[in-house]
Amino acid sequence: MNTDKKRQDICIYASLAAFFLFAVYILYLNREVLYTAHDRSEFLYGAPFFQTLMSRPFGLMRYVGAWLTQLFCYPAVGASVLMAIWTLIFFVGTKAFRLQGNASALMLLPVAFLLTSIVDLGYWIYISTIRGYWFSQSVGYLVMLTLLWIARNTPRKWHLVWYIIAFCSYPVLGWFAILFVICLAIIEKPTWRELLGVVLILFAAGIWRTLLYSNMKSDDVTALAGMPRFITASDCSEHLTIPFWLLGAVSVIIPLCSRYLSKAFVPMACAVAGIAFTWSMMFRDSNYIDEMRMVRYAEDDKWQDVLDVVNENPKPTVSMVMLENVALMNKEAMHENSFKMRNDYSAIYNPDSLHVSFLEIASPVVYYNYGLLNEGFRLAFECAVQSGFSPFYLKALSRCAYANGEKALVDRYTAQLHGLPFYSDWQPAPVTENIRELHRAYPNELTGVENSISYLINSVVFWYEADSRIASEQALLYSMLRCDSRCFWPSLRQFVKQHEGETFPTHAQEAYILFMDKSPEKRRMKIPVSQEIYDRYQRFWSTIENHVSRGKTLKEISEMICNDYGDTYWYYNIFGKKIR
Amino acid sequence: MGFALMLLASCVRHPDVPASSSETQSLPAIYPDYCDVTVPCNIAPLNFMLPQGEYSKCVARVTTPDGQQQTYGKGVKVQMPEDEWHAMLDASKGKSLKVEVWGEKNGEWTAFRPFEIHVADEPIDEYVSYRLIDPTYVAWSYMSISQRNITTFEESEIFNNEITMNDRKIGQCINCHSYQNYKTDNMLFHVRLSNAGTVIVNDGKISKVNLKRDYTISSGVYPSWHPAEKLVAFSTNLTRQAFYTSHPDKIEVYDLASDLILYDVNTDSVSVICNDPDLLEVYPTWSPDGKSLYYCKSVPLPDELADKDIRSTYEKIQYNLYRRSFDVASHSFGEEELVYDAASKNKSATLPRISPDGRYMLFAEGQYGCFHTRHGDADILCMSLDPSSPDIDLAIFNSEGFADTYPSWSSSGRWIMCSSRRGDGNYSRLYFSYFHDGVVDKPFLLPQEDPEHNTYRLKCYNRPEFMVEPVKISVDRFSRVFDK
Repeated sequence: MNTDKKRQDICIYASLAAFFLFAVYILYLNREVLYTAHDRSEFLYGAPFFQTLMSRPFGLMRYVGAWLTQLFCYPAVGASVLMAIWTLIFFVGTKAFRLQGNASALMLLPVAFLLTSIVDLGYWIYISTIRGYWFSQSVGYLVMLTLLWIARNTPRKWHLVWYIIAFCSYPVLGWFAILFVICLAIIEKPTWRELLGVVLILFAAGIWRTLLYSNMKSDDVTALAGMPRFITASDCSEHLTIPFWLLGAVSVIIPLCSRYLSKAFVPMACAVAGIAFTWSMMFRDSNYIDEMRMVRYAEDDKWQDVLDVVNENPKPTVSMVMLENVALMNKEAMHENSFKMRNDYSAIYNPDSLHVSFLEIASPVVYYNYGLLNEGFRLAFECAVQSGFSPFYLKALSRCAYANGEKALVDRYTAQLHGLPFYSDWQPAPVTENIRELHRAYPNELTGVENSISYLINSVVFWYEADSRIASEQALLYSMLRCDSRCFWPSLRQFVKQHEGETFPTHAQEAYILFMDKSPEKRRMKIPVSQEIYDRYQRFWSTIENHVSRGKTLKEISEMICNDYGDTYWYYNIFGKKIR
Repeated sequence: MGFALMLLASCVRHPDVPASSSETQSLPAIYPDYCDVTVPCNIAPLNFMLPQGEYSKCVARVTTPDGQQQTYGKGVKVQMPEDEWHAMLDASKGKSLKVEVWGEKNGEWTAFRPFEIHVADEPIDEYVSYRLIDPTYVAWSYMSISQRNITTFEESEIFNNEITMNDRKIGQCINCHSYQNYKTDNMLFHVRLSNAGTVIVNDGKISKVNLKRDYTISSGVYPSWHPAEKLVAFSTNLTRQAFYTSHPDKIEVYDLASDLILYDVNTDSVSVICNDPDLLEVYPTWSPDGKSLYYCKSVPLPDELADKDIRSTYEKIQYNLYRRSFDVASHSFGEEELVYDAASKNKSATLPRISPDGRYMLFAEGQYGCFHTRHGDADILCMSLDPSSPDIDLAIFNSEGFADTYPSWSSSGRWIMCSSRRGDGNYSRLYFSYFHDGVVDKPFLLPQEDPEHNTYRLKCYNRPEFMVEPVKISVDRFSRVFDK
């Protein structure tokens, strides 16, 4: 008997330990996601934000969740709090459902669903409008379980009161209030009198809409308020609600089946099922994480770290390429390294076909660093209006306003940041001379913006008219990126003028040779190029011709010569996926 | 005695005045700046604060003309209970409240030079309504038309852009609320894009109408209710928005075309007031007697610019103010008459509003264009419509370098209001001034229960309108008109 008990304990503790370690590992893998969660989640200090959330059902949970999400500024801190909440869910759940022995491991399943819900979002992290998403469901579920535990420990004659409490708590708990009633009704078969309470909850949403939420669209109150819905004007992902439906379903099934689920294999089965579910649903993509790392470093002006990330990455995305070029500009190594580090890009891994792009991922940081302050401000604002005034956008807005000399506006946004747990002393970093000079180089025009990336490239490419050293470097780079000889020649002329007597950078020489070779009749100027580079250019073409004569396709050729010529402008020009 | 009892009954903590302090001759740097303003005798408490971070505590002592005193202060904020404040206002009508402020910094108290709050005999209209929106760019999210009882802090929604939105892809915008004669039984607002239409309340009955006709360039845009008849003058506009790459104004809004129409609410008929194909007519407003319609009209561009893209000529487009007489019986308009020639001063005038006594006209004036809410140089001007009276200098009402627009008169004509971006150039707020004897007093910011509310609310106050009564129709009831 003792041996059996011991074996059972070992089995349970081993399962719990395995799941615990798995959860820690998953959170560690997603530490950059957690940081970004705080950076892209809105929590605003002051009454207006609180009142806005409280004017909707489940608002208090969202408010608490939004505040707790800011703890992810230090991912270990936020993750520890989240783990603590899940640990409480486990223990309170076992009490609420009166799970004993092996059956207690069933509570791993709700925890697994909650863990899944924070690692399966993918690019929704940039566009989600659900305030406090990262904690609100866990906190709401914990409150629901606590109520259930207390309710089950009160005399039966009081149960009607608990149904009424559930009705009253709908504005706070939303769909968890309904889940509470269902669980209570299943566990403690209701009397006829208590059935009235159950019936009351069926109408709770409608009644509360009339009483409190008449300014809201009926569906937003009645359709399981608080249940996350991943829907925006242009995107919808139903599958992300699966963990929450399962959370509800398991919470109903556990009290029904717990007595039959005390077999020895149950703990291990629950742990394995939880791990398998989370692992299969987790969004895994190295570029997704690397983009987040680069944006974080760029926000802090850690340009070498930005370059280190992109150096490790063979297939960067557009956002990474743009950040890489900003970093190279700030490290004064652009024309020597830009094409060595690759400028062609790969598409983001986006199985839900979300409308997420450079605009949402990195545009405010890139525009700011190019001195395009009005545009940087506008893009940060456009995104903030849609997905919330998160720290990322508040910082971007503050920095643009600061660089524009709008002190009162800086004060407004920094006042918001100072209300956050880890931003009490935050101030915008001093504006670099690069930003000032590029801003001065930018002529004032009245324009519309259809596509942020093409707009940026088209803006920078015309900086060849500016009497600025750094602007001439950018104009030359972007004319090369556009593979546009009409812009290349005036950019080159201005570049040479601004860099008189200096070494002609490698990539500029490469582009010069290529454009001269492509259109010799349009030769505009003559500058000395390195014989070594010219010889390499000849070898580049003869290698291509050899492969073509052997019937290779362009794609095959690009792969075959990538190692030898992938670091040249010619390779980008002929084979690279162009940023437009 | 009653006042004293009320003070005793109040449960607000009244701090002690610091026992010792150093004196300074400077006024306290309170936010909002209520030093020496003139307020109506029914305004909500003028709560204020000293700069957080600079000071750790603030105590204010308010003294009524009859010598009664009370102190307030919690942290750096001074928030006065409504009942006590209104009792103090009642005791100070036509006179002034004296306010002494102490601030604690590094454990040392400073006594600032006292200031006064002058209390006018004239009350202000109890309600204002405004649209709460993000500073406009391309994207928008939640917006509401809200009403505020400005004698208290009560704010409620008249309508929002989510309750009837039935297509998330295109979204919904709501705008241009307007009332007949400051009352709300006859009013309107527009709903654009998803579930679009103009919601009209006619003697309390709600309907949704489409104002677009084959012969108009758009549905109705900027409205003005006739003060007595069930008629609404609208502009019709083809409006575009563009962005400055480095100009501090950031945004420019301009019309490709605009005309004026008259909508008869009772017959649902639309007639054209003016539709010059080469010129732009906009912002109609009725005179209080309903016998004249004032509006803005652009002046012709020089021939060499006439056919150019507006994005290269927008800085040359300037508007003058005109009026036409109106015959109520026949619904016919007289000849156009130039009222204010802004273009001759190389300026552009917009948003005219006539005082209830018909003697003055408020309008916004900037260098060019019609969307002065985004022009840092835009100010409010007050022109006398009586040739024997001088224009009123509104320098004290305007800000330096920030857009001051959307002027309006209270129903008594003694209070004027505008929407101004003077706080930070981006988020507009409402300012009020006392208008009396040809003089305008220092403006004051719409009071809030928590003075920091002005900092933390990331919305603009757009198109403010005075009302003598609240809109009594609920958001939900308005929304039902879209189900029909």
